[in-house]
Order: sequence, then C-alpha cells, then structure tokens
Amino acid sequence: MTLDSLDTVVLSRWQFALTAMFHMLWPVLTTGMSIYLVVIEGLWLKTKNLAYYHHARFWSKLYILNFGIGVASGLPMAFQFGLNWAPFSEAVGDFFGTVLGFEGTMAFMLEASFLGIMIFGWQRVPPVMHWISTICVAFGANLSTFWILTANSWLQTPAGGVFVEGKFRVQDYFQAIANPFMVKSFAHMFFATLETSLFVIGGISAWYLLQNRLPNFFTKSLKIVLVMALVIAPLQVFVGHLSAEQVYHYQPAKLAAMEALWDTVPAGTPADWSLIALPNEAAQANTFEVKIPGLLSYLLELKPKLETPILGLKEWAPGDRPHLVGLIYYSFRLMVAIGLYLAALAIATIFVWWRTGLEGDRLRHYKWLWWGWIFAGPLGYLAIEAGWIVRCVGRQPWIVYGQLRTAEAASHLPPQVVLFSLSGLVALYTIFFFAALFFGSRIIQKGPNVALPVPGLQNAEQLEIRIKLAEHQPDRRPLETQQ
Amino acid sequence: MEPNPLAPLEHFLPQVWFFILGLFLFLYILLDGFDLGIGILSLTSSDERRRNILMTSLGNVWDANETWLVLMGGSLFGAFPLAYATILNALYLPAVIMVVGLILRAVSFEFRENANNKRVWNLAFGIGSFLAALGQGFAVGTVFEGIKVDAAGHFAGGMWDWLTWHSVLVALTLIQGYVLIGSTYLIYKTTGELQQTHYRTATIAAWTTFIGAVLITISAPLFHEHLRAQLFQPPLFYIFAAIPLLGVLLVFLLLRSLQKRQEVMPLVWTFLLFLLSFIGLGFVIFPNIIPPSVTIYEASASPSAQVFMLIFVAFLIPIMLAYNLYNYLVFRGKVVA
Repeated sequence: MTLDSLDTVVLSRWQFALTAMFHMLWPVLTTGMSIYLVVIEGLWLKTKNLAYYHHARFWSKLYILNFGIGVASGLPMAFQFGLNWAPFSEAVGDFFGTVLGFEGTMAFMLEASFLGIMIFGWQRVPPVMHWISTICVAFGANLSTFWILTANSWLQTPAGGVFVEGKFRVQDYFQAIANPFMVKSFAHMFFATLETSLFVIGGISAWYLLQNRLPNFFTKSLKIVLVMALVIAPLQVFVGHLSAEQVYHYQPAKLAAMEALWDTVPAGTPADWSLIALPNEAAQANTFEVKIPGLLSYLLELKPKLETPILGLKEWAPGDRPHLVGLIYYSFRLMVAIGLYLAALAIATIFVWWRTGLEGDRLRHYKWLWWGWIFAGPLGYLAIEAGWIVRCVGRQPWIVYGQLRTAEAASHLPPQVVLFSLSGLVALYTIFFFAALFFGSRIIQKGPNVALPVPGLQNAEQLEIRIKLAEHQPDRRPLETQQ
Repeated sequence: MEPNPLAPLEHFLPQVWFFILGLFLFLYILLDGFDLGIGILSLTSSDERRRNILMTSLGNVWDANETWLVLMGGSLFGAFPLAYATILNALYLPAVIMVVGLILRAVSFEFRENANNKRVWNLAFGIGSFLAALGQGFAVGTVFEGIKVDAAGHFAGGMWDWLTWHSVLVALTLIQGYVLIGSTYLIYKTTGELQQTHYRTATIAAWTTFIGAVLITISAPLFHEHLRAQLFQPPLFYIFAAIPLLGVLLVFLLLRSLQKRQEVMPLVWTFLLFLLSFIGLGFVIFPNIIPPSVTIYEASASPSAQVFMLIFVAFLIPIMLAYNLYNYLVFRGKVVA
C-alpha cells in the first residue's frame, strides 16, 4: 500500500477498533473485581477474619494496575469521536454526547475520587468508611458500563427521535436511553465483566493451589468465586441467548453474518445451525460447511420449523450488509464456546467441592481442575473482545444502524495524519500490554503481603501479628505507597 | 408553528453551559496543573527519595484530577457538538500529543510501583507530564488565536495551523504556570530540605510565568485584529485594564509570600493568579466558542438537549465537588517519608 492509496475512513476505523479493543481489556477487571472487593471487604467487617482483609489488599494491587491503564487508554476514547468522527459527533451530539457527559459526571468521577481512598486510605479512614468508598468505586464503575452500553445500544437501535437533514433531533430522552437493545445489552456486559473477573481471580487462586502455596488462603477466594460463578456463568449463557434473539429481531443482516447464512430460510422449514464454515464473500456462499440439522430453529423460536423466515445475506445489496462474514461468524462461535466452557467449569468444580469439601490433601488430586481454571483466566477477555467484534463489525456499514453510514461519519483528515496517530498508539499500547502482563505476573508471584498493618488494631496487637508471620518482608517505602 | 416553550432560554442555556464548561476546564487546569507541574519537576530530580515523595503526593488524586478533562470532553460533546467536532478536528495533532503524554503519565504510576528498574518509568512520568502540558498549551494558544472555519462552522484550515510563534509562547507559559503551581503545592505538602528546593523552583517559575504572561498580554492585541477590536470596546476595556493590574499585584504578593517562606499562601496566590488569567481568557473568547467567528448560540445543541443535561449535571456538580474535597481532606497534611 502506498501513501496515496491510504484511506482516511479505513484508518480511522482501525484506530477506533484497536483503541477500543485495547481499552476494553482493563475496565473489565476494574468493574467486575470491584464487586468482588465489596463482598470480600464486607466479609472482613462482618467476621473480623484477617484473611479477608489481606485478600482485599492483595486483589486491589491487581485492581490498581488495571485502573491506571484503563484511565490512560480511556482518554483517547473520550476525544476520538471529535478527532476522527467529527461529522458523526455533530450529527448525534444532542443525544450521544449527552450520554457520554453523564458517564463522566455520574460515574467516572465517583469511581476516580473514591479510588484514592480505596487504595491509599486504609489507615486514614475508619474501616466502615473505607468499605463505603469501595462501594462507591464499584457503583461508579458499573454505572459507567451502563452509560457506555446505553450509548452503544442506541447506535444499534436508535430510538427516541428523528433524523432531520442528517442531524438527530431528540424527541424523548428516556425513550432514547431505554432503546430496544439497552436492557439486555447492559445485562450481558455487566455479567461479562463480573464473570471474567471471577474467573481471573479463580484462575490465579488455582495457580496458588497447584503450587500448594498458601492453600488455605486461596481456597477462600476460590470458594467465594465459585458461589458467585455458579449463579452468574449459567445466567450469562441465558442473557447471551436473549441478546442473540434481539439481534434476530432488530438486525437481521447481523444475524445472517453471525450464522454465515447467505440464502433465506423460508418459514415452515427447519433451520440448521452451522458448526464450521468457510464463508466466501465473492461467491456469496460457504465453500465448506458442517451443520447440525434443525438446531437454529430451536435456538431462535424453540420450534422444529420456523414460523418467520430467517433472512440470508443475499437479501441485502453488498453495500448494505456487513462484510468480514468469517470474522463475525467465528467471533460469535468463540464467544459462545467460552461462555459454555466457563459455566461447565463452575458446575464441575461445585461438584468437586461437594465431594471433597475443597480442603486438605485431597485438593492435590484435582490438578486437571486447577489447570482448567488457570486456562479459564484469560478466556473471559477473549469472549468479550469477540462479542464486541460481532456487535460492531456486524453493525456495518452503519455507524448509526440504518441511519448514518460509517463512511460518511469520518473526519476529513489527511490519511498520513491518522496513520501517524494510529501507529503511535499501536506502538505504545503494545509496550503497555506486555508491561502490564509482566508486572501483573510479578504481583501474582510475590503473593499477598500479610505484613501490612491492619486498620483499627492497637499497636501491640499489630506487633503480635507481625511477629507471627512467617513471610515477613520489610517494606521501606512510605506508608502511603504500600499496597 | 407551535411556540417552543424553551425559546426564552435560547440565550440563557448556552451561557450557562459556557460557564459550566469553563468551570470544568478551570478545575482541570488547576488540579491536573499541579500534577503535571510536579511531573515536569520530577525530571530535574536525581534523587529517588525525592521522586518517591513527589509521586506519593499525587497517588490518590491524579486520576480524579484528570477526570475533569474527561468531563470537559463529554460535556462539550453534549452541549456544543459543533465546537467539540471542529475544535478537536483543528487540534488533531496537539490533542494526540496531549493524549500520548497523559497516557505515559498514567501508566508510569502503576508500572513504576512494580518495577525494579524504575528509571524508564521515571522518565516516562516526567516526559509524559511535559508532553501533556505542551499539547494543552498549543491547544489553548490556538483557541485563543482563532480557528479557521467555513460557513457551516466546520474546520477549514490545515493540520499545522496550530503551530505559530504565538501558540508556542502560550505553551511555554502554560508549562511555567504548571511548574509554579506544582512547586507551591509541594511547598504545602512537604517539609525540610525538599520544601526549600521548591521555594526556589517556585520563585523561578513565578518570574518566568510572569514574563510569559506579560508577553502574551502585549502581543495578543498587537498582532490579532479581532482581539484588538474586542479588547478596546468601552465596557470590556476596563476589565482588560484591570486584569493585568491585578495580575501584577498577585505576582508581587506571591513572590513576597515565597520570600517569607509561608506554607499555604503561595498556593493561594497561585490559585488566584490562575483564576484571574482564566477569567481574562474567558472574556476574550465569550460569546464565541470557536473563535473568532462561531458563537455559543450557533454551536449549541438543541435547547431540549441542554436542559436535559443541565438538570442532571447541575445537580451533580456540588456532589462531585463535595466528594473531591473529602478526598483532599482525608489526605490532608504533609506527605510522610
């Protein structure tokens, strides 16, 4: 590709996709884990068991590492709409901008302000006030998810107003916020961040159990994770199903791409579910396909034969339907497979817990299970990224579904300039990604610092606890920076 | 046609939003100003202990401070979509410089905490802070000078329009200002030898900021016709005559308090200096939002959008201020080493 053939729209899309996908990696853990921290800190307050306190301190080390990168990579997101998508910003600013403004004022500021107390304020505020701060952080983080999903759902199913001369005029804000996709999409993402975080915590705990390092300490976190995951993982499979159903009703072209379905399946016939396919966009057909007969009609309508037809991609002109069918098709399957695996893992582990009590020597007999958990750690992230690819690549060629085309929404920038910012961000993000992995694994390898002072105890008690500790590591840094 | 119930508010609403955005921007410049200033100061530190204290003094506040910028971005998008689109379009490169700087600054906090070899992240922290301040300086300078737009208010200039000797001057002065407020914040947060160091850096920065501000004040109306036309009209003229006089007085008070080795007053005088410059800038820009030609009324979102957002945001501003203040109260006092 020469410099002249560079296309600003393509580059802007790459920049948005890559920065959004990179940004997405970090808030997942900070929103999901914040709920876990509220639970574990609450347990400490209730039972006064120090193990819970040290759990809160240990996991918040990973939390803050993620938060820093999340804030850093979120900043370009806040400005990118104006920088690269100026016509879009102008057209939908009345609603879309308002929602982003809400996200900042209601959610993000709350999270960022109380984070300081949550991380550094252990010795400065009473334990109950600290817990309230953690709750504020968790509430703020999840409220962020709500507003971002509201904004994105509105792009998928715009409601609450009309487009007049290419500009969106809001008639009813509440209708626009409660657009058709909003409830289920928010629920799906809320559970996604929580589930991913639970399996990260579970995976790390399993790693310690496998090494027989602090087994009593880490069975605690694993058990809490298990109780929560047993509810959430199957529920997420169900919410995911509801999300696919709403795509079927509102965005049939996306559903056709998710299923690599080129020809319409008429009503009154069974629809097969494709397991493996090689979509060929030039031929408008799949060169190779393995199908499970009748499954898709069961999935969508719970009936052996369809009541309403499923439209195939050929119903739309090539310019009006999503491309990259293979990407959408496999991303969807990957997400579904991961969702099912995580639910199965949670159920299998509960079974083992019931049989063994997850205690003592018997833990060591279940190496395969701990490996299953370690393997599950990164899977949630993969599912989330895959899901967003389905959601946003599948929405193309529209930026606002059915109303505004992506190609018409990009700023008229010289492509070299976009290439410059794109390559700069990619270079930085690559470094940060590996640095975060490196430092994250270092935090995990170091393990919990059980020598940290406990708030609310007298000095004599503190000393007694410190002497008792086997793994005492002197920490010479200022008190404020100790984590 | 049905009479629009919001019609009487058509002038009032954009003014309220102009004020709110000004408030967010001012809080950002003030609060992240000392973060960035301290970051730039850390470049001069060869002592790891000093740097530790510098960064500890920011640990609990920098992300909340940076959030004011995110609020500014989001609210500008909602209240004045045209301005959000056009200004960012015009400021593409300075915005990228700023964003890259802020990213480097943010990750350095966390990576440095866990790193054995802290040198890389120390440097990233300092350079990131510097780049962020530089990008912001260019942005302020460009908005101050004016952005070339077509009849519809869309950006019609070139990618390098922002780079002029005047915006360079504004950028350098803003950096000095950040170093000044960073130094006075450290005077308030530290003791002993460290505090003495920052009395010195504050004095130097006070002089350089002052010189920069004088140059900007003189050169702006001299070289920019639209500014000249605006500044020398009767009611505004008195305000613009008063601002430099007050500024000189504040600089005098600041230097005296530094000489007397007062602990809190230098920060207070610097705060007032920032406020004064900011009010001056506000008067120069108002009622435009994309100077020199697009007014807040032309760039406004529809009145219903502004009312809807205002209901929530007006209610949230005092709450946000309250819990931010609480955060500062919890961590009040000197940074302990």
